[in-house]
Amino acid sequence: MEFSVHAERALDTALARGAAYADVRFERTRTERIEVRNGDVAALSDTRSEGFGLRALVDGAWGFAACARFDDASLDAAAARAVAMARAGAAAGIRRIGTIPSDAYVDHYVTPLERDPAGVPLGERVALLLDAERALHSAPSIAVGLAWLDLWRTEKEFYSSIGSRIAQTIYQSGSAISALAVGDGDAQIRMWPGDRGMYFGGGWEVIELAELRENAARIGEEAHQLLAAPQCPSGTMDVILGGSQMSLQIHESCGHAAELDRIMGWEANFSGTSFLDPAERGRLRYGSPIVTIEIDNTMPRGFATCGYDDEGTKCVRADIIRDGMLVGFESSRDTAAQIGSASTSCVRAESWEYVPMIRMCNLNLLPGDVPFEHLFDDVREGVYMEANRSWSIDDRRLNFQFGTQIGWEIKHGKRGRMLKNPTYGGVTPVFWNSCDAIADAASWFEWGTPNCGKGEPMQTGRTTQAAAPARFRNVAVGVGYGR
Amino acid sequence: MDASARRALAARVLERSRADATEAIVTSEHRALTRFTHEFVHQNVDVENVSIRVRAIVDGRTGVASSNAGDDAAIDALVQRAAEIAAFAPRPAEPPQLVARADVTAPPAAYVAATANASAEERANVAAAIFAQATSNGCWCSGYVTTAEGGLTIANSAGADASFDGTECGANVKMTAGDSTGFAERYSTDARVLDGEALGRRAAEKARASADPVSVDPGEWTVIFEPAAFGELVIFLASHFSAQSYDEGSSFLSGRLGETVMGAGVTIRDDYAHPLRPGAPFDWEGTPKSRVALIERGVARTIVTDSTWAKKLGRPNTGHGLPAPNAQGPYPLDLVVEPGTAPLDDLIATTERGLLVTRLWYVRIVDQRKTILTGMTRDGTFLIENGKLTRGVRNLRFNQSLVDALGTCAFSNEQQRTGSYHYNLVAPAVKFDHFTFASTTDY
Repeated sequence: MEFSVHAERALDTALARGAAYADVRFERTRTERIEVRNGDVAALSDTRSEGFGLRALVDGAWGFAACARFDDASLDAAAARAVAMARAGAAAGIRRIGTIPSDAYVDHYVTPLERDPAGVPLGERVALLLDAERALHSAPSIAVGLAWLDLWRTEKEFYSSIGSRIAQTIYQSGSAISALAVGDGDAQIRMWPGDRGMYFGGGWEVIELAELRENAARIGEEAHQLLAAPQCPSGTMDVILGGSQMSLQIHESCGHAAELDRIMGWEANFSGTSFLDPAERGRLRYGSPIVTIEIDNTMPRGFATCGYDDEGTKCVRADIIRDGMLVGFESSRDTAAQIGSASTSCVRAESWEYVPMIRMCNLNLLPGDVPFEHLFDDVREGVYMEANRSWSIDDRRLNFQFGTQIGWEIKHGKRGRMLKNPTYGGVTPVFWNSCDAIADAASWFEWGTPNCGKGEPMQTGRTTQAAAPARFRNVAVGVGYGR
Repeated sequence: MDASARRALAARVLERSRADATEAIVTSEHRALTRFTHEFVHQNVDVENVSIRVRAIVDGRTGVASSNAGDDAAIDALVQRAAEIAAFAPRPAEPPQLVARADVTAPPAAYVAATANASAEERANVAAAIFAQATSNGCWCSGYVTTAEGGLTIANSAGADASFDGTECGANVKMTAGDSTGFAERYSTDARVLDGEALGRRAAEKARASADPVSVDPGEWTVIFEPAAFGELVIFLASHFSAQSYDEGSSFLSGRLGETVMGAGVTIRDDYAHPLRPGAPFDWEGTPKSRVALIERGVARTIVTDSTWAKKLGRPNTGHGLPAPNAQGPYPLDLVVEPGTAPLDDLIATTERGLLVTRLWYVRIVDQRKTILTGMTRDGTFLIENGKLTRGVRNLRFNQSLVDALGTCAFSNEQQRTGSYHYNLVAPAVKFDHFTFASTTDY
């Protein structure tokens, strides 16, 4: 491993300065982004960053220091700063929560790839986006066409003072297109795939799977049609949510709600707390019996899939909601210990310079047994909504209001005319208990989110919420427009 | 890393580049954070980094590469990579141009040595003072104390050579007291103004005063938003002032410059030199920033531009560019809402029945063109009856066009810096005559 000598020095310094435990994470990242806007390449960039972040535990309090230089003096200084930070925190606080891990691993992990992006010429990448963006202008009202792709390669080496030595190379990729139609004082947007694009762990095959060129003309035409579409009605009615909107629904109302640091108040001053309570594990009916939501940080194509999390815990699969009941949480080693449980391998840092914290990783709603087209069968009056446009939820993850880019009227079991500006709202457990059908595995997909925000300073996380479309009864619709 | 070291690094980039034209942006930072909850520190962070961004222009094409390694070999690889990327980029309709050298002066007090040199113990002492207030008021607290110094140097082969060094600090705290919460914040360039005891006391007072909250009916209300809450709304106007959104039609201002678009009391500026938030006097292309009136006494006066959009629209370059090239267009990073004449207490005293909101959460756009926003109140929402705050109110969700609300409003006479890590702006408290809430909560 490349950084083993540096790691040994930094960890020895931290222990010599008084740390009871220390770990250090070296990272080297390459981030490539290409963005085409109205025929011009608006961004064509290649960013590389390397450095290390060291955690030191002193008297049950953590300190973290990060630096981009690898000389002995910088390694020593960073270790000393981390210990000093931990000591200052221990002196000020009245509680101690840091725990020393008992498991050490020597291992490596590499994301499975079908096509390494490094082998795809820049000209081929640019041509794909130029073609797709051009095709978005399929209607005269398209004022802005966008096409973009992102490629990440992250090499990590994790070392701990109890003997862990873990090397990982993680590939993540994604792309999207977007059309903005403007006319008659209105503006309407459509995106593909879903509302954030298609993002998951893997290489160039992820970009190809999105079929940007093949869908661009349709997306442009839909944005144009939305300008003239009738407004989504207001009232209490049934709702069918498409797969990407379901992923957003899971993300906001379950994923963030089940983060154990948030539940314990660690994010209270910014992103809030949660209505979930560890004391209600096994007792709270979160959703209807067909609702099962699980962490799977080992799944193929998961955006957050890797071998080990950023505090050296081996990635696992774990239940959060089983048959509608609350059974678990997204956790770190320290928070899990507080409730007598084990970490669910959900600790991530955005990069070497960020402190590791609990992040929503891969959190999936298991598919149901209803073919997608039969979700509509016994809906007398409702709306089918797809592709998120607006999202807001309160700081206990209860009162939510979401809007989508596009909707379709449902009358007597049939999908009808297009609707613009669909919105719906509800209260989390009431809403999930109104779920009476989930589409089957044929329409289940690993929807990735490249920009999940949490923490101060905010860290951007990459997460997957795999889902199939689902049906909900008696939902408040049209709430964003004055119902 | 100080300005002279950054300039030397930028000069080495320009020397080693073989592109037709080259721009080097060097940023340095040293930031520290003490974040706490339940009266203990759960994140204690200290980070140092230096980054280099190279924009190479070759035959009218642009490539960008970035790195945080600054030795000669790394710089050679960096400039070569930027040039290689440029070779694959299509030639844009308008050839890119680098800005020329211009003299700029940083506003007073942008850099404070006491902030740059603040220690972990000093941050912990501010946190400890907040903990003491939590304990003595029967609350638990969550928040942070941060100090940071940062530098920016932009140099290019057309002669631009601009540098800025600044400091930032802040502390915020949410106090929880049973069934109610309160909030207080302070941000500055000078860490000596961070008063943990005062912040903790104010947040605790808010929490205690809003205890045992009652539900009120959603609907249209007269509402006073304190600066922390109003700022969460104002930041959603920023993109509307961009020449790009103006020209492309997604801004509510599109085609309306010169028209009255808000109430006569509304003046919104972009001002990098405001004393509450002194910042960099040049943008990310090295162009000197103009201090502009965007809305003046309710009238839409101007939009902000960068080099690309100034040329495209035939308007002056106001110096609001982001790192070029980009898809976002120009952007006003230093919004200031001008104050009114009445103290906040008078705005409350003249309200027969209304609400006072301390803070908002998860504000999002429902309809961009109509400026309809949704979001939640939090951390101290109060009922106003007959000119007095009478009791706490359970949190509410709003759906409201911000531009419509700004049609009939009044501002307090005191501005505050707000926004934390996520944005920064200067705003007073505001009283909206009409503001629509859509639903309520049970807390």
